[in-house]
Parts: sequence; structure tokens; C-alpha cells
Amino acid sequence: MSAVPTSARAPRIIVRHEIILAAILVVALIGLGRLNDRFLTVDNLLNQGRLMTEVGLIALPMTFVIVTGGIDVSVGAMVGLCAIVLGYSWKNLGFPLPLAIVFSLGVGAAAGLANGLLITRVRVPPIITTIATLTLFRGLAEGISQAHSVRGYPEWFYFLGQGAVFGVPTQLLILLVAIVVFGVALDRTSFGRTLYAIGSNETAARFSALPVDRIKLAAYALSGLMSGLSAFVLVSRVTTTRSDMGMGYELDAIAAVVLGGTSIFGGSGTIWGTVIGLVMIQLLKNGLALTGVKGDATIVVIGVVLIASVLIASSLQRRRE
Amino acid sequence: MTAAGDNQAPLLEVRGIEKFFPGVRALSGVSFEARAGEAHALIGENGAGKSTLIKIMSGVYRPDAGSILIDGRETRLATPDDARRAGIATIYQELLLFPELSVAENIFLGHAPKAGFGRIDLRAMRERAEALLASLDIDDLAADATVGALSVGNRQRVEILRALSYDARILIMDEPTAALTEADVTRLFDIVRRLKARGVAIVYISHRLDETFAIADRVTVLRDGAFVGTRLTSETNAGELVQMMVGRRIDNMFPKTDATIGGPVLEARDLVRRPLTKSVSITVRAGEIVGLAGLVGSGRSELAQTLFGVRPAESGEIRLMGEAVTIRSPAEARARGVAYVPEDRGVQGVVRPMSVLHNLSLAALSSLAHAGFIDRAAEWRLAEHAVEQFGVKTRSLDEVAGRLSGGNQQKIVLGKWLANKPKLLILDEPTRGIDVGSKAEIHRLMDELARAGVAILMISSELPEVLGMSDRVLVMREGRLVAEFDRAAANSQSVGAAMMGDAGAAEKAA
Amino acid sequence: MSAIALPRAAAARAPLWRRVSSQETLLAAAIIGLAVVVGLINPRFLAANNLADILLGNAYIAVAAIGMSMVIITGNIDISVGALIGVLATVSGSLAVAGAPIAVTWLAPLVLGVAVMGLQGVVVAYLGIPAIVVTLGMLSILRGGLISVTGGKWITDLPDAFHLYDIEIFGVIPMPVAIMAGATILAAAWMRWWPRGRAIYATGGNAEAARLCGVSPRRTLVLVFLLHGFFAGVAALLFATELRVIQSTTPSGLEFTVITASVVGGVSILGGVGTVVGSTLAAILIAEITSALVFINVSPFWTHAVQGALILATVIADIVRRRRRLAGDVR
Repeated sequence: MSAVPTSARAPRIIVRHEIILAAILVVALIGLGRLNDRFLTVDNLLNQGRLMTEVGLIALPMTFVIVTGGIDVSVGAMVGLCAIVLGYSWKNLGFPLPLAIVFSLGVGAAAGLANGLLITRVRVPPIITTIATLTLFRGLAEGISQAHSVRGYPEWFYFLGQGAVFGVPTQLLILLVAIVVFGVALDRTSFGRTLYAIGSNETAARFSALPVDRIKLAAYALSGLMSGLSAFVLVSRVTTTRSDMGMGYELDAIAAVVLGGTSIFGGSGTIWGTVIGLVMIQLLKNGLALTGVKGDATIVVIGVVLIASVLIASSLQRRRE
Repeated sequence: MTAAGDNQAPLLEVRGIEKFFPGVRALSGVSFEARAGEAHALIGENGAGKSTLIKIMSGVYRPDAGSILIDGRETRLATPDDARRAGIATIYQELLLFPELSVAENIFLGHAPKAGFGRIDLRAMRERAEALLASLDIDDLAADATVGALSVGNRQRVEILRALSYDARILIMDEPTAALTEADVTRLFDIVRRLKARGVAIVYISHRLDETFAIADRVTVLRDGAFVGTRLTSETNAGELVQMMVGRRIDNMFPKTDATIGGPVLEARDLVRRPLTKSVSITVRAGEIVGLAGLVGSGRSELAQTLFGVRPAESGEIRLMGEAVTIRSPAEARARGVAYVPEDRGVQGVVRPMSVLHNLSLAALSSLAHAGFIDRAAEWRLAEHAVEQFGVKTRSLDEVAGRLSGGNQQKIVLGKWLANKPKLLILDEPTRGIDVGSKAEIHRLMDELARAGVAILMISSELPEVLGMSDRVLVMREGRLVAEFDRAAANSQSVGAAMMGDAGAAEKAA
Repeated sequence: MSAIALPRAAAARAPLWRRVSSQETLLAAAIIGLAVVVGLINPRFLAANNLADILLGNAYIAVAAIGMSMVIITGNIDISVGALIGVLATVSGSLAVAGAPIAVTWLAPLVLGVAVMGLQGVVVAYLGIPAIVVTLGMLSILRGGLISVTGGKWITDLPDAFHLYDIEIFGVIPMPVAIMAGATILAAAWMRWWPRGRAIYATGGNAEAARLCGVSPRRTLVLVFLLHGFFAGVAALLFATELRVIQSTTPSGLEFTVITASVVGGVSILGGVGTVVGSTLAAILIAEITSALVFINVSPFWTHAVQGALILATVIADIVRRRRRLAGDVR
């Protein structure tokens, strides 16, 4: 009895989850727009796009990492470290600024690689690895900077964080490109397929001759690299470097990924979902700010959103089984 | 080995047990009894219902109909605690121990002797543990040894002691020898004999007929959830039991034809990989099916994994198609035309949450991808072809693989590897846990592949399969190849004796 | 008799010194060794009030690590404890300033701590949500909530009676040390000799086996979180009464310092192993290192880096040791 090919058959819950999410997003947009005149203006929306890039760049590789069944809570600390390294190597070590930028990206990639090696070679579970490296990286940032901040970057440096191309904020363009690259990679390449296999059944993936360790290493290294890029964007936007930069980014990134439908246990999820999650969180923050809620209180809401979305996802999963 | 206490009520009896799970009738009208002082084997193919019956007797499942009697009195076993209180102790295949705690603590967790204020009396606990060890004449295990550092055999002993610490009168064991070395099996049988002498009833699931005849007084056969019959082991033989288990004559199962045997595909010399591959030399030719028999723990899967690069060899030489190669990873093995269908289908073979389509293409991704991008049309064609060629019963290629039956999942694993057109196919327990119909289909496939020139190394613990399908039979024991038989000389006595280590009897029977 | 003979284990019990965890002896040796080395470099390190400072100022970390160790032994983690301590300290201080009876100001953080942690425990145990996610979310709720309510203002004008530190047991032992030592000893004893305490190790070692032995992993987990909340409350009290003012922000990195103390103290993230005596010793060691850095003229901004290196080294050593034990396993 042969199979009936039905390529039109909608694959599983994930697509449905994203559609629901997108619908909620549209409703939220309309609702917030109704509540506040300033919300649905092009200016505001573009500005939100600018602001969400830093977390967005991190949420993309975080999706890869969580799909493999791992996690990386050291991303915020890596942002801080890369920011400090950028400022320090330029101001104190005298690197020409372009070199300092590349150097800080390299440090980010190296940090991510360190995470990956600890996880794949030494086989330390990802959660404790990244908690340990989080402390180390943040500590290094504090130690290197000695709580001094670096300022006074040249004009061109701010183009990335504060400039615009045809009216679209520069960093948002970069984020959009990254979204397409990461999204296509996860959906259509053997790299992406391997990520899903690792998260669904790592042992079987190994026995299928897939390069499991190499792929995991790549995912964590990417996480570090994108943290470095995020740091670059951040410094460029706020014109200074401080050792506490990036604090809380891990929360936002993980919340975006989980909200977007990626299972915390691995094996499923898409970049498109993460993007929707990211937008929703940014809108939430924006909406709250516009209605007068102070900045710090928004992280309360993000925390609630994170827990709620995992709860909902897991009870849906249980009902399906 | 007489059945004790014929006039007493059996210690444990179940009558007319029915058990349903969504979509499947696991047990229909099964009756079974175990008497004091007897060892009663429970055999049948996978899916016959043995595990379900055991779980009902252990209070893990509740029967949908039927009754359970302890000492002749009807009892309800609603929870594992009830079973334990009724004197039933169960030892599962995955040993449920605490690796970081001591032997004594593992034995007494949950019911340790107490001192004042609800405190655990550590000294009394240790003394009682030592007493238990002595009662079974175990003198090489310390009560405060950490369980995690013990061998599998010793860990199993700790589990048995735990059962005894609850004053179990009925000991149920699920495939107790599956992971044991031969020495441990001997010691286990010794313990079983002691327990029998004490009046304990022992029920154990096994798929190994040789063991059944070695230690059991009676044997009950289940097939497809139904009770087939109970026999005294002294009054039956392997042939009758297989017939009862399988319900048809063995011959139909093994459609082996003679293939042309060509040149050597695999030539391995003196392969060593600690701890279980001591020094193995093996040759498999094109078109040949070599059966690799041995008790579990003899190192067969480890050898396969060495040939496949999961556990690269520490020393020795491998030649494929005459060319010397090193195989350090599965990717290298695959590139050289080696394929391995693993033993543990659910964990190593199939990615259950993924679709049939994605499972089938998993081992061929690098050839399906151009510059990293997967050619979806080619992938679809590959999967369609595989499903048709192997007769995989699925509603669609997008169906989640985990929903398919064991037999169909195994076909997927086979299909996944055959997509690469391997020259050497290593099959590890290819028909374990599969319905009889699919078994025959897989054997037919193997025969076809052999005729097409593939070299096949088949690891199997089912002697009928080994004897029925192999051109040559190799026997492994404790990490080495100890015997070789050609098709004519191989029979269950000769091979069985070689597996057990009795070289003399092996030769005589060949 | 078979050819494979298993080694004859000693019939007598191992001597006392080997039975005490090697990690604890290592830590004790490190504490003493470090004091000696730094004392040689800068004798002022060994001055009585510096040593007292080290113990008194960090007792709260050791107490918090008691609960954290229990959580990690069951195979979970908690990163919200730092924020929780900040919240509880603020609550306690605010009550004191508002004129509540001292007993209430001391009890409130305990009750609140138990409630918050207990809630998280229930979500993890009964809803199956990974602890990292729950505690990450709770961390932000607590942190954000604290800042938006207090605006980061410091609490001053605390009544004198509030301060635990001033109390001394038997006129000699300061309260914080007494609490740290007492809590450690009580918790250690409970986890060694009482069935519910052993259940923590069983749950962490093999939850399925624990269930079949009559231990409920879920209930044990909730109990552990409740206790963790209690100890967090005690730690918050010590934290609040340390100085004459309370900064109502969440102390940065506190949760990681506490986790470091547990892990360096011998608690393995893989679950089932570790002791609270170890985590207390480790907390003292970490405090000692932080102080030592100052006395050998290393900038205090390197403290977290040193902590990070320490926890990394400990975790790697633990994993490598375990792998060596299960040698040869590929899966």
C-alpha cells in the first residue's frame, strides 16, 4: 500500500500556532492604536523597529539553540562583554575603530564557541554552562572596564544605531536581512533540518551520521557572534559603552522565542514565529510606555508573558497527546 | 525441579484478564498462576502482552476485566504499593536505582529502619543490608559501596535485594538477563535457585528459550494478547514453544534463497575497542548474509558500532572492498558505503516526532542538498520510493513517524539507510519487537538485497532467525569470535553451545 | 567459579576521614590555605575585624545557598532568589519603618518567601514547566515589580530593634554566624538522617525509582522550593539588617553568587549529590576570595570574573569525574 502524497497537507500545530499569534498581533496593533494616537504612526513603528533590533539579533540564534533542546542565558553577558571590548580596544589599546569593531565581533564568536565546546566536548549541560559563562563574561566586562565608560566615538560610528536608509532605521534593515537568512537556513537547509533532528532525538541524529556536535557548536557560536553584532548596534545607538549593557536581553530573547511557538524542549519552532513573538513583546513594551507605565515595570509584564506562553504551549501539547 | 506445593493455592493467580488501550486490545482472557518455590517463565514475541501482564500484576496498570488472587483470595492491586504490600516485587529492565547512593540506602529507601524522632537508623540499615547480602551468599559487594560504580550484574543484585527487603514472596523479573554478562547470568540463576528453595515464586519474562529450559519449572506462552498454554519445561521442547509463540511453522518465516557470493566487502582484523571488543577479525562477502549470534553482553552491538564509527576502533585494521580505511565517525562510515540499522529502534533509529518523509531522508541529507539547500522534490521522490519499496503502511509522508507500528518504523529505518545504496549493511536485531507479518517482509527484503550483491551482517538474539537466514553463523562471546559455522553445520545445539561457552558440545553438534 | 572475579570489597567500613566528603575537606583546606597565603602577602587580611567582616557580611549567602543546594540536588535550578531577597528585604524594612511590631517584620519575609517559592515549585512540579523558564520569568516580575513600586529609594530610619546583627548569642557569637551555622547543621542533619531529607537525594538521583519506592517526586520538589523560600527569607533578614539602610534594588548577581556557592560546595547540576555543609564552606570561601582580592590590590571589579572562573572549573571537574566513572559510554 503506497502513501498518498499530500504536499498540500498542512504540517502540524506550528503553523496554526503562528497564525493564531499573528491574529493576536493584528488585534493588539489595532487595540493599542485605538488607545493611543501616537501608536500607529509610521514614526513610532519605525522607532520600535529600531529598538527591537538588539534583542531581535539575539533571538534568531536563540531559536536555533532552543530548537536543539539547549538554552543560552549568557547572551546578555556576551553583549556586555563585546560592548566593553569594543570600547576598550579602541580607547585603551588604540585599535583603529573598524578593527575594534571586528575584534569585538570576534570576541563574541569566541565566547559563543567556548559555550559550544563546553557543551559538546566536555558535555556540561547547557543550562549550567551558560549560567557559569554568564557570570564569567559579565565579570570580565566589569573587570576590563573597571566601571569606566567609553565615549566620544566618531560621527560615522553612529550611522548604524541612529541613522536611516530611505527612512528605515539602519539596524532594522540589518535585522530584516538576518531574519531572512536565519529563517531560510532553518526551513530549507540541511543545517536547519539537522537542528530539528537534534532537538527531537539527538541519539538517532548521531546514528544517522549527522554531524551533531559540529552543528551544536555552530549554533552556540552564532549566538555569540550575534551578541557581538547586537553590542555594536547598541553602542552605536546609545553612544556609550557600559559594563551592565545587555542585562535582561536573555529574558527578552527567550520570551520572544517561546512566545513564537518554539518548544522549550526542542524539536520544533520557526524563525517566523520568533519574529512575531519579538514584535509582540516590543509592542507590549511600547504600548505600556505610551500609557504611562514606567520602563522597569514592563519587565514584569514580559516575565508574566514568558510563563504564560510556556504554560499555554505545554497544556496544548498535553491535550494533543 | 519439581513444582512445589501442588495442593496449595498458588501464591499469585490471575484469571480472565482483559486490558484495552486506545485502539488496541493488549490482553484478552489471560490466565496465569505462579506457585511457591517455582520459577515460571512467561514467553512470547514482543507485543504478545507479557509486559502488560507483568504491569497488571505489579499494580502499575489496572485490568479492565478479570481478577487477581493472592493466596487464593481475590485482591485489588490499584497501585504499585498495593502490589508490594501483597508481597509482589518487580524488577524491570531499566534498573531503577540511585547511582549516587549506597547499596544499603538503595535497598532500604522508603522503608529504612528508624531510630528515635523519626530518624533513620543508619547502623541498623547497614547491618540489615549486610544480612541480606549474606543470605544470598554475595561476598563481593559492600553495603556502603556507591551503586553508580557497580557493574550491571551487581546493580541487578541490589535490585533483587531490595525486593527481598520487602519480604517479597513473588518476584517478577522483566528480561533479567538482557544486559548481563555470562558470569552474571550464572550467578543470577544461582540466586533464583536459592529463592525457589525458600518458597519464593519467581515469574520472569524472557525471549530466550535456552534460559527457559535452564531455570524454569513451567513456561507459559502468550501470543497476540491471548493465553496459548502452560507447559512443564521437562515435558516440552523449543520447537513446540516456538510454534506456540509464533502460531505457524518456522519455515515460512525465512525465505532464504541462495545468492551468488562475491568478493569480500568487509575485512576486519584484530579490532580492539575497550571494554567489550577484545580482538575481533571478521569477513563479510558481497551477497552473503552473516549471522552474528551471542548472548546479550557478548559485544555484538559494540562491534557493529565500531564498524560504523560510533565507537571507533582503538587498534586493528578495516578493509572495505579491499581498500584499507579508518572509520572514526558515522559520517566516514556512510561515505564508505557502510550502513547500520541500530538495535534500539525508538532511541537510536527513528526520530519519532518527525515525519516519515523527514526520517527517510535523514541519512541522505548531504546528497540531497545543493549548497546546503535541500532539494525538496528529490527528497519527496526518495521517500515515495522507499515507502513503496518497503511497503511502509502510513497515511501520508507527513505522518508523524512515532504513530506507526514497530514494524513500519523499522522499515523506515531500513529505508533511510538503503537510500544511500550501501555496500555493507549491518542489521542489529532487525526484527525485534515486530509483528510476524512485518518480520517475514523484512527477511524477504534481506534476501533480495543479498541477491543484489549487498554484504549483510545480521546481529540477532533469535536463534531461529539466525539459523534461517544466514549463509554463515559467527558466535561471539565476551568480546571475541569463538565459533564459525556454515549453513549446513549450524543448528540450535551447536550454535547454542558455542554461545554458552561449551566448545566441545558445539563441535559435536555441528 | 567463573573466570571473571569481582574485587573483594573490604568488610570493614572505610575510615572516618574518607567518609567525610572529599569536597568538604578540599574546601576547608582551601579556606585555611588561602588565609595563610594572603596573610603572608598582607597581614592585615588576618585582622580580627576583617575576618569577622567576611563571616558576618556574607552569612546571608550561605543561608540562601542552603535552599539553593536542595533545589539543585533535585535536578532543578532557580535564578530568581536574588530578586526575591531584594523584595523580601524591602518588605521587611518597610514594615519596620511603618511601625509594625518587630516580630512581624521578621516573620513577614519568611512567610512571603515561602509563598513565592512555593508557587514556583508547584508550577515546576505539577505543570512540568522547566525551572529555568519559571524562575527566569519570576525574576523579572520581582525585579521589575520592586523597582516600579519603590523607585529605587533607599529605606532609612530603621528602628534599632530591627537589627539582628547587634544581637549576640551567649554574648559572644554574633547572630548572623549563629544563624548560618545553626541552619547549616540543622539542614545537613535533616538531609542525612530523616526520610524526607533523603527523599531529596532520591528525587534528584532517579525520580522514577523514587516514585516506586513510595517517595513522591512532585511533593518532594514542592517541599524543597518551600524550604528554599524559607531560607531565602532568613537570608533576606540578614541582608536587610546588615547595614543601617536598605537599598531597595535587587543586589546584582546575587543569584549567581548563591549558585556558585552551591556548585563549588559539591552540588552537581546533574542532581542527586551534594551537601549543605559543602555549600556553606564554599560560601565562606567565596567571601574570603572577594576580600582577598582587595587585600592583594586587585580591583574588586574582578570579583565576578573570579567567581565565574571558579564555578566553571568546578563544573568541568565534576562532569569530567563522572564521565571517567561511566567510561566508554557513547549514547
